[in-house]
Amino acid sequence: MAKAAENKRNLPQVGLDRGELDQIISRYIGKPGSILGILEDAQKSNQHKYLTQDSLEYIAKRANIPLSRIYNIITFYAFFNLKPQGKHSIIVCRGTACHTRGSKNLLDFLINLFGFKEDDFSQDGKLYLTTKDNKFTIKTVACFGQCALAPVVEIDGNIYSRMTTQKLQKIIKSIALRGNKK
Amino acid sequence: MEKPPISLKINGKACKCGQSLTVLEACGENGINIPTLCYLKDINKEGACSICLVEIKGAKNLARSCVTYVRQGMEIFTNTPRVRNARKLNLELLLAGHPKDCLCCDRSQTCELRKLASDMGIKEVRFPKLTKIELPLDSTSASLIRDPNKCILCGRCVAVCSVIQSVKAIDFTGRGKASKVTTFFDSGLANSVCVNCGQCLLVCPTGAITENIATENVWQALSDPKKFVVVEVAPAVRAAIGEEFGLPAGTLVTAKLAEGLRRLGFAKVFDTQFSADLTIMEEGYELIERIKNKGLLPMVTSCSPGWIKFAEHFFPGILGHVSSCKSPQQMFGAIAKTYYAEKYNLDPRDIVVVSVMPCTAKKFEAKRPEMKSAFDYWKNKLGLKDNESFYDVDYVLTTREAASMIKEAGIDFLNLSGEDFDEPLGISTGAAVIFGASGGVMEAALRTAYEVLTGRQIEKLDFMDLRGLNGIKVAEVDIEGLKVKVAVANSLSNARILLEEVKAGCSPYAFIEIMTCPGGCLGGAGQPIPTNDQVRLKRMEAIYREDKNKTLRKSHENPAVQALYKEFLIKPLGEKSHHLLHTHYTERAGI
Repeated sequence: MAKAAENKRNLPQVGLDRGELDQIISRYIGKPGSILGILEDAQKSNQHKYLTQDSLEYIAKRANIPLSRIYNIITFYAFFNLKPQGKHSIIVCRGTACHTRGSKNLLDFLINLFGFKEDDFSQDGKLYLTTKDNKFTIKTVACFGQCALAPVVEIDGNIYSRMTTQKLQKIIKSIALRGNKK
Repeated sequence: MEKPPISLKINGKACKCGQSLTVLEACGENGINIPTLCYLKDINKEGACSICLVEIKGAKNLARSCVTYVRQGMEIFTNTPRVRNARKLNLELLLAGHPKDCLCCDRSQTCELRKLASDMGIKEVRFPKLTKIELPLDSTSASLIRDPNKCILCGRCVAVCSVIQSVKAIDFTGRGKASKVTTFFDSGLANSVCVNCGQCLLVCPTGAITENIATENVWQALSDPKKFVVVEVAPAVRAAIGEEFGLPAGTLVTAKLAEGLRRLGFAKVFDTQFSADLTIMEEGYELIERIKNKGLLPMVTSCSPGWIKFAEHFFPGILGHVSSCKSPQQMFGAIAKTYYAEKYNLDPRDIVVVSVMPCTAKKFEAKRPEMKSAFDYWKNKLGLKDNESFYDVDYVLTTREAASMIKEAGIDFLNLSGEDFDEPLGISTGAAVIFGASGGVMEAALRTAYEVLTGRQIEKLDFMDLRGLNGIKVAEVDIEGLKVKVAVANSLSNARILLEEVKAGCSPYAFIEIMTCPGGCLGGAGQPIPTNDQVRLKRMEAIYREDKNKTLRKSHENPAVQALYKEFLIKPLGEKSHHLLHTHYTERAGI
């Protein structure tokens, strides 16, 4: 047992609530493909919208799914987050249609706006940036399937079409203001 | 009901084959080997490498023959310019991202990727390597090292770990060019449920998985004049190491091996078979005691370190069923540094025990923290401090590593005339030889248990039901009216079936043997590459041949083991045995 404790890896463990996880697991367990539902709800129930290592180990044990398989699933789907998310998410589509209509500009604009540096970029080629105050997370996606409306940006779950830097600046400003009022 | 064979044409020639075959299998049956880097019969059909392409009449695209099934009237072409060019292109793409350090790669002689490039006449790779990222090695494990840079994502290791061993320590992660095979959160094999069996290493087509090499440590010990370096050789090694020197599979080289190791500079060349006989004494008596005193049954063997770690992870609730006996490797180390040291007046701190094993998990076993019984034995006698502690077994070499040392020393192995092992720890019986094959430990234990329980000589020594490559083998032994049901499992997915019964309390058996690797130790991950079922069968024949040729074939008749009990241990399961030859297990996190 001492060995097992030794093996625990040090990562921030936020928002692990076993009771809540138990509820989620019991909602799905036994149904085919249950693991995706479990992981989705577990991520939603986390305060910072990500899956902690601890909660994944707990889910693996309860749902009797190998840890390696769980890691396979969460690294396959872009939807799952392994890092804490900012309060607001901005997802820029980098599909071909959006690219030809200027999505790279939108992305560069955001990177400049929030003052990200080269060092902040992860090594695995995925763009995944969160501001220091934990307010905004910027991500990219390969395609939203809304090519006719390109370029497309998703902000807090809402799809915004025919996006421009001006529009983007406006929306972000209003979100920031709303946050300050609260 | 067997379905009727179907007719098809391969390269214009009419052929017949079974209905449920893939094109790759049907071609193989008809004398055409289709190259592949990912296919493994019954284990991996992923279509991952895209080398096995064939042309099928009427189909627009080339088909991956490993995932395309035969149909009545199918016309297959395996050798058209289109097929050859496509295969070459795909191989070149695999080579583009692959490191080019073949000259000093561990697998340079046995790499399937390198061999295929040569077979297919690839003279240059037209594509430059685009990624500059060097992925870190996983060197957390005492047994195995994984180099993701050399991985071609064929999926064989993932499939073997899951299908053959049901361990599932590794899986694919990420997508596209970020894909790799790794453990949960990249935490490394040592921090996963990996049991160190190394079956992944055996099936890896490249040098992406290798053993944690110990040859340099052994060279150093051998050149240290203060050290008394002894070597122990496992049974399965003598039936396989010849392959490293070009001999056909199944060649026994016992005497050459003993001489070769002596010429390397080992002070004494001993035999793990000696301690295998000793294991049978302890384990046999443990079984008899459990049967007589209505102890916990079935008892399960404990020689295979991969199986032990598997039990600790996945079946912690039944560890009481596992025999408390150490494996022969560990018993040897403990005896060499106590009994032998005392008998020949050697300082145990100067003795270096090197073992040659067909196994990668043995490297992990030797470094388990509890494997320091000899130190505990000497601690008070010599007034040793805790920081002076030493392991019972210092270094573990695989069969391949031992062969490479013999080659490096310039020893003409094939022309050695052969010598015997040294006495007394080199004396063994036929019962110990068969430890190297699945079913062997059970057979050896039954030979001794029968005679000890009945006091009469056993009539039939060979338990044919327990031999062979079948995943689970069962037998019923009549010991003077007492019917003992026994079972043997090789590979952990088969073991899991028997263990679920034990866990549920409905196991009909009194004694179960479990070997981690398919075929037993002779199919271990330390053995020469390739190790496949044909090779396993040949090594198995060699092992049973060696048993047949031995004058003594029952462990309790081993005179050196008898002397050990008389002079030192007193009796099986005695006080000294308890401290030196038995161990305990650790519950580990499962899944």
